[in-house]
Amino acid sequence: MNKIKDLFKARWMSSLVFLILLFLITGIADHNFLTYSNIINCFNTATMYTLLAIGIAFVIMTGEIDVSIGATLGLTAAMTGLIAQSGGSIGKMLLICVAVGAAVGVFNGVGVAFFGVPSLIFTLGTNGLIRGLIYIVTDGRTVENFGGPIAYYGNKELFAQITLYYALTVLLVAIAHILLTRTRKGKYFIAVGDNPGGANLVGISVFRTKLIAYILCGVFAGIAGYVFASKYRQVMTVAGNGYEMTAIAACVLGGISLSGGLGNMVGAAIGAVIMSSISRLLVFIGLPSDYNNTITGVMLIVIVVVDSLTQRRSIEMSRRKRLLSRTAPGAVKGGDEA
Amino acid sequence: MKALKKLVHRWEFFLVIFLVLEFVVFGSANPKFLRANSIMTSIVNYISVCIISLFVTLVMITGGIDIQAASIIGLTSIIEGVLWSDAGLNIWVAVVIAIAAAAVCGALSGFFVAYCGVQPMVVTLGGSFLYSGLALLISGMSATPAYQGISGFPAKVGKTFVGFRFLGKGELLGIPMQIWIYLVLILLCAWILHRTKYGERLYLIGVNQQAAEYSGINTRLVIMSTYVLSAISAALAGTLLTSNMNSAKYNHGSGYTLAIITAVVLGGTLNTGGKGSILGTVLASLIICILRYGLPLCFGVSTQNLDLPVGIILVLVVLGREIAGQHMLSALFRKRG
Repeated sequence: MNKIKDLFKARWMSSLVFLILLFLITGIADHNFLTYSNIINCFNTATMYTLLAIGIAFVIMTGEIDVSIGATLGLTAAMTGLIAQSGGSIGKMLLICVAVGAAVGVFNGVGVAFFGVPSLIFTLGTNGLIRGLIYIVTDGRTVENFGGPIAYYGNKELFAQITLYYALTVLLVAIAHILLTRTRKGKYFIAVGDNPGGANLVGISVFRTKLIAYILCGVFAGIAGYVFASKYRQVMTVAGNGYEMTAIAACVLGGISLSGGLGNMVGAAIGAVIMSSISRLLVFIGLPSDYNNTITGVMLIVIVVVDSLTQRRSIEMSRRKRLLSRTAPGAVKGGDEA
Repeated sequence: MKALKKLVHRWEFFLVIFLVLEFVVFGSANPKFLRANSIMTSIVNYISVCIISLFVTLVMITGGIDIQAASIIGLTSIIEGVLWSDAGLNIWVAVVIAIAAAAVCGALSGFFVAYCGVQPMVVTLGGSFLYSGLALLISGMSATPAYQGISGFPAKVGKTFVGFRFLGKGELLGIPMQIWIYLVLILLCAWILHRTKYGERLYLIGVNQQAAEYSGINTRLVIMSTYVLSAISAALAGTLLTSNMNSAKYNHGSGYTLAIITAVVLGGTLNTGGKGSILGTVLASLIICILRYGLPLCFGVSTQNLDLPVGIILVLVVLGREIAGQHMLSALFRKRG
């Protein structure tokens, strides 16, 4: 029973409830929406954002930020396309994507964690750097007209209309979630984000944890780049522009605090579904897609404001309880527990 | 001597050297680079980033960040266009309304940051979605298709620009109006930040908000006001852009977000707050601006490819500063020990 109660208290739960509410509201507006294939489609289209969001979630949990993931996605997508054009295998593409992502992650991680440059600034520089690399790699041209196995897998359904890529992504989310909540090393991420000084004192290497977070973030962005190329089979030089903001928004919607130390992977994955399905939902509600950004913005602001206000209230309540229990012992039962 | 040492250790000193170096290198590579007119045109092309970064500096000094300003450029531009061409208002009335609307947008985000305690990055991220979305919706009210942009703003007499277009295209004493406006804003902003009590409070809030609150400063109001100021500066930039390009479009300035932050940060403003100067921001935005103008002209770098050098410089500069800072710190400790 307590476990169920804890489940409902979890921050990602409110995002899930919010997602379900969104689906229900859309369903009320248009009964045709609530079919299996429509809802599954919402999840399938979220593949790329889910990968980006769980990647950046590692970094955000350690209290840092990475605005270079959109560019990393663009670079790896372009490289995937070029390899596909020259007839390379999927294994080679994935290897390159992961390697490039990891390299970007090492670069960011060393700059931020080792040299102590503020993460927003450093990854901003990385962003420009990689955007430039995309032009060099592609000669400023759109990479297109590639077929072969990568095109075949792009929209391949595994079972029950779930695409292969989304199924694999869900698997990755599950692994990341278990890693984060069940293993000792995984808990380091939250610990470092919550209190870097304290983490350092108990023997956790803040540098190594942040470095690993950045590497994971880069690797996930690299995989997302592969998915981008495979899905759209056309990579423009501006591919992935602004995706970093959407991924950050997804994390925020999923209950991950940007100051670090709070949140989990399931939340990030749900947030990504919310972010990517808004445009689809609007079609069913009957609003033109022009409303897309407005609704996203309002939603984001309302959610974070409500979240921050309720959090502040709960902090104040617990403080008041503590004070009361101190002045009159036994007046509030279990006041110290709060 | 001591004063000289202090000067050398200042970040702005390094920026000045960098800027001079740029002029020397580009100027010797291609004498065409040194034509005053071309340099001024390059600044005019980058004026939005230059202007907005001034006021985003204020936001960042309090420890906040503003990534919504770029979306307010488009919002004010399209408001002016729709009010002028579809509602038939006088263009100046439209400009005033657009700036007021921008101020309201800034106040809204500022309110959430200051009074609700939400992280500024999240709020302004939401704001950037919201305001660019609103801009698109407003452009839908116009009879002109959104992708085309509203054009035909007044007015041109013969070859000289008067009225609204004078702002973006006119010249005074041979110098474009936009640069005059930029100069005035630099002075205004420097005065606000370095000469008034308000500016002092911004630094204090950035260093320690709680201490500032306890010393009787209405920190929330001050923080909110910085967002209003940066939104108004974005509105000015949007107005200038509309006037210069003779077109009101909802997506004007949509790619400027990172450029603005880059300029502020390269200028030496800490994103944790409490440190920074207007001079630094001005120098940094000029450095980037000259780089973007000089590289294609003198070294044949493709204009599409300018993100790379800017990115490299940003990374090198912040790394160098961090390493130099740590080196100096360790030297300090060694001396003591």
